[in-house]
Amino acid sequence: MKNKLFEKYFVFSPYFWLVLFFFIPLAIIFKISISVSEWGMPPYQDIFLFDNGFKINTTFENYVYIFSDYYYIGSFVNSMILALISTFFCLLIGFPLAFYIATSNIRLRNILLVLVVIPFWSSFLLRVYAWKIILQNNGILNVILLNLGITSEPLQLLYNQYAVIMGIVYTYLPLMILPLYGYLNKFDLNLIEASKDLGLNRIKTFFKVILPLSIPGIVAGSLLVFIPVVGEFIIPEMLGGSDRLYYGKILWEEFFVNRNWPGASALAFSGIIILVLPIVIFQILYSRWSQKNEI
Amino acid sequence: MDNNFLVIENISKSFGDTKVLENINLNISKSEFFGLLGSSGSGKTTLLRILGGFEKPDTGRVILDGTDITNLEPFERPLNYMFQSYALFPHLNVFNNLAFGIKENFTQKEIEINVRNIAKLLSIEHLLNRRIKQLSGGEQQRVALGRCLIKKPKLLLLDEPLAALDKKLRSKTQLELTTLQKKLKITFVFVTHDQEEAMSLSDRMAIMKNGLILECSSPEEIYENPKSLYTANFIGIANIIEIYKKDENFYSDDLGINFKLNKELKNTKTNILLRPEKIKIQSINNLKTSSFNSFSGEILEKSYLGSFTRYEIKIKNMIISVLDQNFNSSSNYNFPKGEKVICSWESESIKVLED
Repeated sequence: MKNKLFEKYFVFSPYFWLVLFFFIPLAIIFKISISVSEWGMPPYQDIFLFDNGFKINTTFENYVYIFSDYYYIGSFVNSMILALISTFFCLLIGFPLAFYIATSNIRLRNILLVLVVIPFWSSFLLRVYAWKIILQNNGILNVILLNLGITSEPLQLLYNQYAVIMGIVYTYLPLMILPLYGYLNKFDLNLIEASKDLGLNRIKTFFKVILPLSIPGIVAGSLLVFIPVVGEFIIPEMLGGSDRLYYGKILWEEFFVNRNWPGASALAFSGIIILVLPIVIFQILYSRWSQKNEI
Repeated sequence: MDNNFLVIENISKSFGDTKVLENINLNISKSEFFGLLGSSGSGKTTLLRILGGFEKPDTGRVILDGTDITNLEPFERPLNYMFQSYALFPHLNVFNNLAFGIKENFTQKEIEINVRNIAKLLSIEHLLNRRIKQLSGGEQQRVALGRCLIKKPKLLLLDEPLAALDKKLRSKTQLELTTLQKKLKITFVFVTHDQEEAMSLSDRMAIMKNGLILECSSPEEIYENPKSLYTANFIGIANIIEIYKKDENFYSDDLGINFKLNKELKNTKTNILLRPEKIKIQSINNLKTSSFNSFSGEILEKSYLGSFTRYEIKIKNMIISVLDQNFNSSSNYNFPKGEKVICSWESESIKVLED
């Protein structure tokens, strides 16, 4: 009897985790997002009032406010585009690396895997800050370019969207490489040889055999990069300029600068729904498809 | 017959410090079914992979039908390779696996016709819409074979073509494979570690050991007249007896008997091979013992194998294997364990292993 109880708890433990750290916080954010804002601490009114009998005190004005102002929608669109571009570049760089690691001999493979993971051993903030030092006007890169005579005056490498994309691709690359490696590691190399033997050159073999069989790894890696990049705050803040506003930054400002908790919560909640719903639908369709195709 | 259809010339290959192939030379005829037999590490698969273009030889050339293909990529070679694991594409169904190699150069209609024809030839028409995972081992083997044959290769290379099948299916497929090969007249070169498989499939076979070809001949020739001690032991059951010249004859210390040989020997000391089915076994009362080419011994072990009975007969310091065909249906025909018997053989049955 005791064992059975344990088994039950054990099976449900991921759900406890999900409820505790995802659904409850999400519910709290939703609750704040439909409250009426006011000056004070906390800066919003309770949604249940008991002063003169029971009264529900909610509003959807925060949502109307967010969706009627392009400032908010635009920042979200910017973040989505940033995430798409960064995911694309992570995939472009990560796939060949993961493939090379997965197909090299065991000694080299272990060394390369350690090299992929090593950046995680130092602080995220420190690594982004290091890029700031490299890219600044009197930074290493500009000094080298000047000394080589490639440019006559320092290039403005920092504080623009390209620096942001570069910083994101750099920091999120391991998140792309590791799941891809996980799938490519199981890849039967005879399939590549069989494809070549049947007359397909390297490029055709890549598109007809390697790519279709790597889709699960590509999907896993891309989601792992795409989702957190949409909400990324620190990298655009440190490397980005004022040319583009991103969702994470707007959210932060709304909470901490404007102290508009209900507005910020509405923004956060809308973001999660817009981001998570399509992904959930995609995952369902995708798992059906992959079951049918037995990949 | 054109003996120079496939010419393998001075092929050597090393991986790091390990020499895998040493100066391999082979000539294979058109439409020949050729076997490469060896234990693991003999270099046979490396040789096959060099033919397929997956490995580059350190030295030497491969010439197929008059063209030097040594430096061609696998996708440029007019040959196909059937993998031991079959390497079928799991993301494609049987139809698309079969059509994989011809999609480039054929129209949709031609593809359809070719796939149907090859499926008919291999009796897998009913499987065309199946996924690879839904196939049995035997069916997968046919798809792998069909995927190669549809390209009408000049040469088909097969890596352990039957190793992944269970025993009963294997003998059936063996027969099908030889029939198919004779019908299509495509040159087949295959690799195996299984001597029975090599004997039953090959027109000719090469015995490989440590990167060298020890012998290359027909299965009959290799079984009956092996040149080396290794081959004699590797193929079939072998009684190897050491003899040396003593007066006019040859004498074995282990057996304590004299041998009469029909030919002269280079050395005064050598090994001879006596295949177990060449030895005649008789009751001791039937015959008087001769001092040449026969001995009397005691039956130590016996195993009844249906068509044959295998005896292990002890004589002096040696145990000799004898295969006796069960002519008689009576069950008391067999000699019991512990019985003294006389074994004899013809002088021609003795093969001298000079190497």
